[in-house]
Amino acid sequence: MSELVIIGAGPAGLAASIAARECGLKVTLIDEFIKPGGRLLGQLYQERDGTWWNGIKETDKLVAQAEKLGVEITCGISVYHLNKHEHGWLVHTNHGSMQAPYVLLATGAAEYHVPMPGWTLPGVMSVGAAQVMTNVHRVKVGKKGMIIGANILSFAIMHELQLADLNIACMVLPPKNEISKSAAKPMEVMKSLLRASHLAPSPILRFGSRLLINESLCKLALRFLPKKGMSVWGIPIHLRKAAIEIVGNQQVEGVKVVDITMDGEPIKGTEEIVQVDFVCISGGLYPLAELAAVAGCPFHYIPELGGHIPQHNERMETPLKGLYVAGNITGIEGAKVAIAQGFVAGYSIAEHTGASRETAKRKLEEAMKNVKDIREKAIIQFYPNVKENRDKLYGAYQCI
Amino acid sequence: MKKNFDVIIIGGGIIGSAIAYYVSKSGMSVAVLEKNELASGTSSRCDGNILAIDKDPGFDSQMSLASQKLVNELSKELEHHFEYRAPGSILVCETEEEMIAAEKWVARQKEAGLPFKMLDRSDIRQESPFFADDLLGGLECETDSTVNPYLFSFALAEGAKKKGANIYTHTEVHSIKKSTTGDFKIETSSGLFTAKKVVNAAGIWAPMIGKMLDIPIPIKPRKGHIIVASRQQPVGLRKVMEFGYLISKFGGQRKVDPPTEKYGVALVFEPTESQNFLIGSSREFVGMNTTVNIDVIKCIARRAIRFYPKMADMLVIRTYAGLRPWTNDHLPIISHVDEVPGFYIAAGHEGDGISLAAITGKLIDELIKEKSHTTIPIEPLRYDRFKVKGVVHS
Amino acid sequence: MNNRIIDHPVLGEMKIGKKVPFHFNGQYYEAYEGETIAAALLANNIRTLRVHEESGTARGIYCNIGHCFECRVTVNGCHHVRACITIVEENMDIHSGKTQPTPIKDLFKGENNV
Repeated sequence: MSELVIIGAGPAGLAASIAARECGLKVTLIDEFIKPGGRLLGQLYQERDGTWWNGIKETDKLVAQAEKLGVEITCGISVYHLNKHEHGWLVHTNHGSMQAPYVLLATGAAEYHVPMPGWTLPGVMSVGAAQVMTNVHRVKVGKKGMIIGANILSFAIMHELQLADLNIACMVLPPKNEISKSAAKPMEVMKSLLRASHLAPSPILRFGSRLLINESLCKLALRFLPKKGMSVWGIPIHLRKAAIEIVGNQQVEGVKVVDITMDGEPIKGTEEIVQVDFVCISGGLYPLAELAAVAGCPFHYIPELGGHIPQHNERMETPLKGLYVAGNITGIEGAKVAIAQGFVAGYSIAEHTGASRETAKRKLEEAMKNVKDIREKAIIQFYPNVKENRDKLYGAYQCI
Repeated sequence: MKKNFDVIIIGGGIIGSAIAYYVSKSGMSVAVLEKNELASGTSSRCDGNILAIDKDPGFDSQMSLASQKLVNELSKELEHHFEYRAPGSILVCETEEEMIAAEKWVARQKEAGLPFKMLDRSDIRQESPFFADDLLGGLECETDSTVNPYLFSFALAEGAKKKGANIYTHTEVHSIKKSTTGDFKIETSSGLFTAKKVVNAAGIWAPMIGKMLDIPIPIKPRKGHIIVASRQQPVGLRKVMEFGYLISKFGGQRKVDPPTEKYGVALVFEPTESQNFLIGSSREFVGMNTTVNIDVIKCIARRAIRFYPKMADMLVIRTYAGLRPWTNDHLPIISHVDEVPGFYIAAGHEGDGISLAAITGKLIDELIKEKSHTTIPIEPLRYDRFKVKGVVHS
Repeated sequence: MNNRIIDHPVLGEMKIGKKVPFHFNGQYYEAYEGETIAAALLANNIRTLRVHEESGTARGIYCNIGHCFECRVTVNGCHHVRACITIVEENMDIHSGKTQPTPIKDLFKGENNV
């Protein structure tokens, strides 16, 4: 029997398994996907120094380290329930139940949906789906596509699709509705992209800096945006156009786009159909926290961290004894932060069990400091003011 | 803003919504105070039926049939469709003993003039190709009907709004006092409200509201679980329960395994318009806890597979648990409270809130108007029946 | 199989496993060992994995990581299998779902207030 079951073999789960195993704990690591790595697998971007962050290679390193230490990794396991039992936690899966005194939820994130007419047609998918299909499965999702939604994630993946020789017609905003909210307002989108541009991994993501970080200049820039859009990596980015319908019979044949006002309202008479055979919709990420909810963990709603966050402290403990969280379930950040948080969770659990307590304690402190350092240096930040919101969250932590 | 009303209803579930509809239809000014969202308590954690099949012949089934008649009218009267239909419902039997008991049940119901009839093996086979081969038969009540409980609540609340009712959500009642003028002063999280009359339609929370006026209300939460299964081939067209459900409901002894007994599990199957289906049921007294207990879910699933073996391959979408407002005689309290003139209780419907909402709304309207004659007799529903029996617990 | 990304400027050449035969809606196809059903079908130019049970409209992958259940198919008689997280096995018999009757909804057809 394992002392620790980790649900999710992404960057956080893998790192936690290494840390806990280093301290002598028996660890079982499970994942629903066909191989370990989670969202890290699809990542591919250029660092400031020009080297590539290759998610597959990073995953391989972590997996090799975990396996060398004797972590048992099983893929293809879906967890449908988690509950407290007299001897600890019961993890219910499609391959039977597991019992352990400690459980770490490292379930990562999923993408917010942005529904629009025609979005159920084959060939329409989330931007993350296209990323996995391209970089992990190495299958082209189509010949020519459109990206709907302009945010850090969609820019990063647009570039990845281009690297794999897929043709991207353009990027436009989603239609204005109750779900898309500020993601459909050119001004808001521009501001959020500018906020991110100084952190951008390559000169290409810094396109906005030319437009200066000033609201009136921003407005001016949007007003005089060329008809053919701004060009990023040679792809037109239309912040003054929105997709209003995806058209096609049995699959995607095109997207109806329309010019929009500064506030995202469609301008009548400007509709046109852009012919594409695939569409990627990008609505941003939210923490995948259902298991924390069924386990009875209290939550905080923090939009700046991606949505509903299970309550936890800097040691990655939830208020429920023996239940820990790490990675994107604690708020949306990059894979490097997730890895660092995974180490914190692993050492934190080890220290709590009393296994190699002195080492665990020392390493835990180092790991906690490391999370903060990495967060400061992060070049991909999905939401603004992560640090401030984290401080608020940890300040609110209470034992129950 | 004026927050003074003829009638204030505490609770925006199916019962509060129905009362709001009937009372505002009578021309009185009405407000509903709901601490959360409309239909966010038991009314959205239930299934949706108006049944006579599981009622004792006599007053219980008379009340249900009166409600059924009103719901039929409402389906024509209200603007919003709430998936109302009346296909009848059936009970299935798994043993000879149950068949004998079922025959007695049918005989008693027929004597009372209700459209009941026995079903044999081949009738059962016709009902659904998914039934287990060994089921012996069952019985049918032709007039039973079904609704979508959320839509029914919303349709009533929208209907009430059209007639001028004000609905305050996220408004939690903190205290109720009777002023010297006889009006009620209600302190809430959205400020002070005043009313000539107050109706406590707070379901499982009714005792807490009662306590604010020193009125003990003997309602206890009785937890139930439901499984929602994915849309697929139609399993059946109407509500199915096992005969043991009757025994379980009335607290009798069944020949079942210990967990089934412990959790009060009995099969309830309900197809929905969207072609999903709901599977219940369980009955437990475990306080105000709505956490899904996986052991109960497994027990319900086992029970469902016993009656529909092929369900083992069907996909579950989700599960939920809710709390029925239980009273010890299985009848709701629909009554004026004589100790506090102008204060009414409309709560304690256990598993029949959807069934009896319409008649409850109608009766409260009649009580408020102090009508000499009510649609059905209200004696069995009076609040003071508990005092007579000496079972009011504070 | 012309939809595969064999060469990639950063990720390098695709590692190709041995061929695995399978059937989809009665038609013979080949996957590479270790591939998901969704990836193998897309590589074979197949995007429609199922039809909506009621409307009959075509559906393909949406999230590709097992959350949205849009890609559910029937595998060797087992319903609701997610094509995006299930590896193709030798001689797998995969079927799209079909449109199901909606007898209850049909009762309301023609009513004004629906």
